[in-house]
Amino acid sequence: MRVWELCKRNLRETYRDPLGMGFLLGFPLVFMLLFGAIFSGDTVSSLPVGVIDEDNTPLSQAFVNEALSEVPAFEISTYDDADTALRDLKFGELDAYIVIPAGFGQQVSRSWQGEKADITLQMTYDESELIISEQLISIINAVARAFARIEIPLTIDATPIHIETEITYVDFIGPGIIIFGLLILIPTSARTVVRDKEKGMLSRLLTTPTRPVDFILGYSLYLVVIAIAQIIIFMVAACLLGMDIVGNFWLAFLIFFLAGLCSIGVGMVVASLSKTEQQAEPLCWLISMPLAMLSGCWFSIEMMPQYLRGLAYAFPYAHAIDASRGILVRGVGMEAVSNDFLFLIGWAVIIFTIGIILFQRSMRS
Amino acid sequence: MTSHRVKRARIDDLAIQTFNLTKNFDGLVAVDGIELNIRKGELFALLGPNGAGKTTTINILCCLLKPSKGTAQIMGYDILKQPFKIKEIIGVAPQETAISEHLNTKENMSLIGRIHGVNSPELKGRSQQLLETMGLVGRAKDQVRKFSGGMKRRLNIMMALIHNPEVLFLDEPTLGLDPQARRAIWEYITQLKGEKTILLTTHYMDEADFLADRIGVMDEGKIIALGSSQELKAGMREKNTMIVSAQNLTPKVIEEMRSRYAEVSITGDTMLITDSKLDFREIVDRLQSSGATVRSAHIKEPTLEDVFLNLTGKELRE
Repeated sequence: MRVWELCKRNLRETYRDPLGMGFLLGFPLVFMLLFGAIFSGDTVSSLPVGVIDEDNTPLSQAFVNEALSEVPAFEISTYDDADTALRDLKFGELDAYIVIPAGFGQQVSRSWQGEKADITLQMTYDESELIISEQLISIINAVARAFARIEIPLTIDATPIHIETEITYVDFIGPGIIIFGLLILIPTSARTVVRDKEKGMLSRLLTTPTRPVDFILGYSLYLVVIAIAQIIIFMVAACLLGMDIVGNFWLAFLIFFLAGLCSIGVGMVVASLSKTEQQAEPLCWLISMPLAMLSGCWFSIEMMPQYLRGLAYAFPYAHAIDASRGILVRGVGMEAVSNDFLFLIGWAVIIFTIGIILFQRSMRS
Repeated sequence: MTSHRVKRARIDDLAIQTFNLTKNFDGLVAVDGIELNIRKGELFALLGPNGAGKTTTINILCCLLKPSKGTAQIMGYDILKQPFKIKEIIGVAPQETAISEHLNTKENMSLIGRIHGVNSPELKGRSQQLLETMGLVGRAKDQVRKFSGGMKRRLNIMMALIHNPEVLFLDEPTLGLDPQARRAIWEYITQLKGEKTILLTTHYMDEADFLADRIGVMDEGKIIALGSSQELKAGMREKNTMIVSAQNLTPKVIEEMRSRYAEVSITGDTMLITDSKLDFREIVDRLQSSGATVRSAHIKEPTLEDVFLNLTGKELRE
């Protein structure tokens, strides 16, 4: 009851304030379009990639012709032996070459039959080209996994292999950018509460029988509505920019929602700790920006040192990026992301509990 | 047995009681061992300059701040042990007019009302009644961000009253308002007198003088004087001032007056005589017999300002 009254009041305050509303909803849109413009299109010029097919089975050929060749960012040329490819790499005519080892086809077909498979690709690349190598690894990884997980009938020879998705850089970067957008919910959430604190509205409400849990939930319920609207805008904008959704839309939505919930929780904790907007705002950015970098919003965290990766996975956002990328790009289901899912739920519960305890403590100093 | 009963009846009669209430902020004593007893239905004013500790006292009584020492009871509930019981029965109009800017008058009232669990029909009736008494009927559905300072102050008080609280806290209810708007708010507060226990803080002595049944004069965290406006002023009687406007005042008569009374000062044709005891007629006779023409003479009534000046040696307003 009280929770709903507080939520209703916050919603009214928002939709009657066009400027505030514009910031909350227009910002994610502008933000997504900007990132889309940066990462889509032809900005990433074709990367020359050599392929040596040592497996030479219909499957490995399909992988080269149907999967790798379909990646717009790649310019695939085939080689008979690795030495020639290495020479071209050294002369700068290739950015990388991939060796498909013997047994690749066998392993992939095992994977398709639901058996345990060990699919390996060997890749040699020019490590001085940091950005390119980073993209290469991500894309080849994504293509190979998409290829290996596609379910087709057992009679491989008879069925032409159709890759359902073209892996573009937008597909890869999209989920990370959405998570970055949701990390910005941290300052948004904290601001909502701290503003009321500064204007004395919170003090007035604190002289009523409203409990700490009512406050946190009242504000959070309102922010959840904002988060849902933002996620929809993000996803629609990402699709318009060329992100393909292979997996279940709602499952991805749920992952984003949980990440948003964690951000709201962090915002509540910051709001409980700060007295003014001037205190809360920098603290929020100090949390959200390093987290965005650490969690891999803009690049894969595979490259990071082990201890940093460990740190990244202590927070929900790296999990959310992994899970949403798996669902959106590779089409995996709940069974593949259940660990990330549980981690997100657990993290949200813990951060809200901390928020409520801190709020209770700050209620009567 | 009888005396015991009398004592109990007196305690039951109290709405607000404080026991050595103290609050320190980083070594600074904001409230210094206050002992207050405010009766049910009484309008009590805490009068003092800014920084005297009035708002801190109210914030402790509203359970917004924890006292560093001591405690208080509101309608028999302890502020430390039963804060939520207290929050159910009090109404607070804070100093900074805390209202929701994009909500209209009715919605602001309904927010506080519903949080207090007031049901819809009751809420409707009470808001209508408050809109009428506070003169905001025409603005019931207007967003409050365009309201004048006086209207916001009125709504601030309405929000404190919407759930029909037993005890009302008004922190500087007319701060920064023009005289007309202040008068209007004074009238509304006067209408509430007797119905509710009201604790009001102000640094305007005329406000305390006009509204309060009893006044606690507060300075540097302490209550330095307590009583009705009349009682406080009566305490000043030992220091009376007479103002005489007269012509032809000779040096001789001035000298004579100076020898008789504690303090005599002359500015132009005006003579100020101050002493613990002044006989009006005697002074006028003495002046007239010396050949002076007395045009007017009166004994100055002490104001609360004088009371404060006398108690602290400083002006009430900074």
